[in-house]
Amino acid sequence: IEPSAIMYKSTSLFVIFLSLFVVSEAVFEDQVGKFDWRQQYVGKTLFAHFDSHSQTSKKLFLATDKNIFASFNSRTGDLFWRHVDKAGPEGAIDILLLHGQDALMVVGDGRLLRSWDTNMGGLNWEAVLDTGSFQAACFVAIQDTVKHLAVLKNAAISLHYLTNGHQKWVENLPDRDTVQYQAVYSGGEEEIYVLGVVPNSHLTIIAYSLEDGEIIKQRSVEAPWLSSVESSCVVVGQGMLMCVDPGTLALYTLPIQAEETPQFSQTLLQSLDLEVSPGFQPVLVSSQPHPARSPISEFFLQLGPHHHVLLQLNGDGYTIAPLRDFQPAFLVSFATTGEKTVAAVMTPKNETACAINLFSADSGRRLLDTTVIFPLDLNGGKPHKLYVHAFLKKDDSVGYRVLVQTQDHALTFIQQPGTHTDTGTYTQTLEQLFGHNDHRYVWRKKGEACKPKNTIPTVKHGGGSIMLWGCFLFGIDSKSGSILWKHYLENVQPNAVFKLIVQRTTAHFPHPPQCTLLIKDKDTGLASLHVFNPIFGRKSHIALPVLPRPILQSLLLPVIDQDYAKVLLLVDDQYKVTAFPSTKNVLQQLQEMASSIFFYLVRSDQGNLSGFRLRKDLSTERIWEVVLPTDVQKIVAVNGKRPNEHVHSQGRVMGDRSVLYKYLNPNLLAVVTESTDTHPERAFVGMFLVDGVTGRIIHEAVQRKARGPVHFVHSENWVVVSSSCCSCSSCSSCSCCSSSNSSCCSCCSRSNSSCCSRSNSSCCSRSNSSCCSRSNSSCCSRSNSMGLPSGAILSLPKMFLDPRRPEVVTEHSREENLIPYAPEMPIRTEWFINYNQTVLRVKGIYTAPSGLESTCLVVAYGLDIYQTRVYPSKQFDVLKDDYDYVLISSVLFALFFATMISKRLAQVKLLNRAWR
Amino acid sequence: MWLQVRLSEVCLFLQAMFTLACCFSDMESGPIATSGSVQPNGDRFKIEGRAIVPGVKTQDWISSARVTVEGEEYIGFLRTDGSFVVNDVPSGSYVVEVISPGYKFEAVRVDITSKGKMRARLVNFIKTSEVIRQPYPLQLRSSGPHTYFMKRETWGWTDFLMNPMVMMMVLPLLIIVLLPKVVNTNDPEMRKEMEQSMNMLNPNPELPDVSEFMTKLFSGSKSSSSKAGQDEGNRMDEDEDEGTEVFTKRKLESNWDRYKESEKDGPSDDTPTQRGTDYHVLLESAGKEYMTCSFEMA
Repeated sequence: IEPSAIMYKSTSLFVIFLSLFVVSEAVFEDQVGKFDWRQQYVGKTLFAHFDSHSQTSKKLFLATDKNIFASFNSRTGDLFWRHVDKAGPEGAIDILLLHGQDALMVVGDGRLLRSWDTNMGGLNWEAVLDTGSFQAACFVAIQDTVKHLAVLKNAAISLHYLTNGHQKWVENLPDRDTVQYQAVYSGGEEEIYVLGVVPNSHLTIIAYSLEDGEIIKQRSVEAPWLSSVESSCVVVGQGMLMCVDPGTLALYTLPIQAEETPQFSQTLLQSLDLEVSPGFQPVLVSSQPHPARSPISEFFLQLGPHHHVLLQLNGDGYTIAPLRDFQPAFLVSFATTGEKTVAAVMTPKNETACAINLFSADSGRRLLDTTVIFPLDLNGGKPHKLYVHAFLKKDDSVGYRVLVQTQDHALTFIQQPGTHTDTGTYTQTLEQLFGHNDHRYVWRKKGEACKPKNTIPTVKHGGGSIMLWGCFLFGIDSKSGSILWKHYLENVQPNAVFKLIVQRTTAHFPHPPQCTLLIKDKDTGLASLHVFNPIFGRKSHIALPVLPRPILQSLLLPVIDQDYAKVLLLVDDQYKVTAFPSTKNVLQQLQEMASSIFFYLVRSDQGNLSGFRLRKDLSTERIWEVVLPTDVQKIVAVNGKRPNEHVHSQGRVMGDRSVLYKYLNPNLLAVVTESTDTHPERAFVGMFLVDGVTGRIIHEAVQRKARGPVHFVHSENWVVVSSSCCSCSSCSSCSCCSSSNSSCCSCCSRSNSSCCSRSNSSCCSRSNSSCCSRSNSSCCSRSNSMGLPSGAILSLPKMFLDPRRPEVVTEHSREENLIPYAPEMPIRTEWFINYNQTVLRVKGIYTAPSGLESTCLVVAYGLDIYQTRVYPSKQFDVLKDDYDYVLISSVLFALFFATMISKRLAQVKLLNRAWR
Repeated sequence: MWLQVRLSEVCLFLQAMFTLACCFSDMESGPIATSGSVQPNGDRFKIEGRAIVPGVKTQDWISSARVTVEGEEYIGFLRTDGSFVVNDVPSGSYVVEVISPGYKFEAVRVDITSKGKMRARLVNFIKTSEVIRQPYPLQLRSSGPHTYFMKRETWGWTDFLMNPMVMMMVLPLLIIVLLPKVVNTNDPEMRKEMEQSMNMLNPNPELPDVSEFMTKLFSGSKSSSSKAGQDEGNRMDEDEDEGTEVFTKRKLESNWDRYKESEKDGPSDDTPTQRGTDYHVLLESAGKEYMTCSFEMA
């Protein structure tokens, strides 16, 4: 009997499985934050409000385009809480209004009305609104108390109680086929005014009674110049509608509440000595400090990109007087505290800084000691929006805090000097700390626009850097998550697709490491290259190839030029190949190797997969083609193997002493298809394994009653496909397919038929993305990382997905260390490698081997970024974290001293004996 | 093997019985009608419930929790009192989960008929038709905080002492140290007994020692072996003399000179002369010596 057999007999299967895997996957409590970091983002800010409920409040509320409602600590930029709604238009936040402690939100184009308790971060109530697309909403006050919220939709107006969300009344709007209702106004009286427009014809004003929603009066005013109330009109002063017309360059005023049918009174901009920049649409900015009172009579008129004018509507309601001209001025904003209303104006100071000043709104005078400097980041983009929170200081002067939103969607919070002296330590994980001088602190929060789409750790273990990028290219320290450098990419279309390629690593000193970014415009297909040094972010000055034609495919070859840069091949739409770098040396190597370079192209719209071979003159010839009929199924994803993947053991000894050889074809492509039929009974997910050189379909498998989104991992000799099952739609089934050539050792005849085994397991949760761990030479066992919708990253040992798991445990399977098959996959919270650090909306997981064989680096990105390390086979090559140095060294010292002492004692004893 | 098959059959039968029973019970009760769940906009319904974490204030956990229906298909948020409503859900069967990074909640499957009748049941991904009723509106009680972390192995005295290796080392040591104290070696009867037991251990005193055998084998010549025997005998004698004395460092003096004469006339005589005491007697005495020595050392 073999010794191994005896060993396995004596040891129970579950003991092995427990000791080997359960422990290895989990995180120890003292490792929290040691190897991992998380950065939480919220997205591009749409609405921001300061908590004006109390003077000392540090809260800041944001609603963003990622359907997130978040509360921040305004002093440090830390997240108090955030609520992530469903992605897409169904969870889009239409408006955010703040009233006392309650934040009111209209969600999903007028689908839901929510009220949040901002103190606790919980929901007060949620009300379902009638169908119709959302137009506007405003608070309605009676006798100085705000009790209602009016919501205007394109077809109806409804009034809701703020306390419970119940509907007080709902009224259908008249003539809703012709009139576009766009604004709702309440000035604290018993009436609510709804403004609608028939473009270039007339304006409709309807007054509704607050009590029962009855139409009190309805008027229409001729306005042939008016196309949209929303973009060109504001309410100013005692219910005066102020509109600007870019055509006639005039301001129009109209009293909303007037009894008789009035006309717009026109004031030409020329008469006020104002001039609009050519091609600029003038914009009006006004402010209504409290819903129970009418708006202030001062307003801003923006005449050019950097030109604002503060104007005042006089008491008679018709004459307009300019108060102050701001040129140049980037941004303006009103803020009110108590009875005082101020205007904050941001003006450029020099190349690298802007100054923000306060001006009294009613006189236009500058307030003393209110200047704040805002440092401009040349790579970060210009300031985009200004949110000001004004408050009264003890000496009755006005102090303020500013939140500046820049074009890279970052937010900077600036506090005026001297008002707050709390300069404690704050975490720098979320924001970059800019300056910290004279009690002024500034923090910046990265917006999501720079959303990570692709990541590549370039340096191994330890202080390396990762690049994440979107419209900006970032270098991030993989140890701490801090941003090392960033670049703004010019001329990048919003729908461009990217590919990040490492051409040279840091291993070739003195040549700097080199990364290439391939940017492809999705519409035209034209591509451009951006070559840079990933460590310092410097752009390389290498001659880039001219790419006049759309690029179909890129291919990184293991061939290196004399500068140790790997060669990148780009295939254009005429199947011509461009090499980069294209030196003589490279071209010569390519000519020699041409007959062994193959590539494939996928046309998912035609269901076409074709293989090509390179010719010596860098043209190509088609050698195979696979057509998957598009009326049945469409190609969702194609994935080859990693070019640098090592496979440690090519075979596996089975229980009966035969060897199972893995089918390790480096050219194998896994093609995943989804059925076009989405009916739950007929939907399926198909998978094909295609040889990339010959085009032979090696294996095909179909998962019935399954649908996307499909995520799959292709490595070694196995593919794990996760899709969601239709009948039990919440479970995702993983089928693992491992192909192997089995041959018996004892038999002389070699059976050459390859066999594929497959198994399904259902997980209790759906996965958002998946990736498998990698190590340098693949000695470790693999584990699959999956992002779950709950925000957890599950690290599932590959053993649980082994297709050869037997249903009934036998002697052989026990010997092979196979666990019995279970149809339901357990999800243990110990396998969550990010413990309670949830990473929401995970888009992808990237893994890379580190310098240590046992360790694999994992980056999960989506809404947040999370980086950690995993040890699929435990840390066998490093000392444990809890290695007790004190104990070991004290024992060593004790032994040393013991030998010294005993030696001395022995000497004494010998001497005594000699004397005897 | 037969037993296994039998057992599995029985299991299957039991399962079948169970599902049947479930089906019947299901038919009896049917989904409960819940009034007021129909919403204004068409065939959209709402899922209501309440989540409780025992012993924790709601404000400490609701801000990080949310309710997901079918993954992220529909999302609801928790009210300040822990209750929740997920609006705008069409009819179908859904898995409702309260997701909180801090606390564990069991998932519940909620079925909504096209008429808006609701029922809640336990989630079973394998047998999706199995019905184990849960209360509706949902009452979700947390079963405690998540266990994300593994416990470190701590070093304790008991673990150390109970280690088999340590046991193997410590127990013989104890025997060596304690046994002489327990057994009175001066008692002559005891001594005799022990001698006997030693003889028992060495059952066949006639059998030559292995080392002896090896030396014989390698030295090859008869004479040298007898010499060795003589030498040993002499040394034993010396030892016996010194036995009662305190040990001192042994001086090595060559006494080969004594044999020079006898060596000369040795070959003339063919028959081997017996010098020293009998070999077996020596061996026995050696055993005795060894015993005494070891006890003294101890």
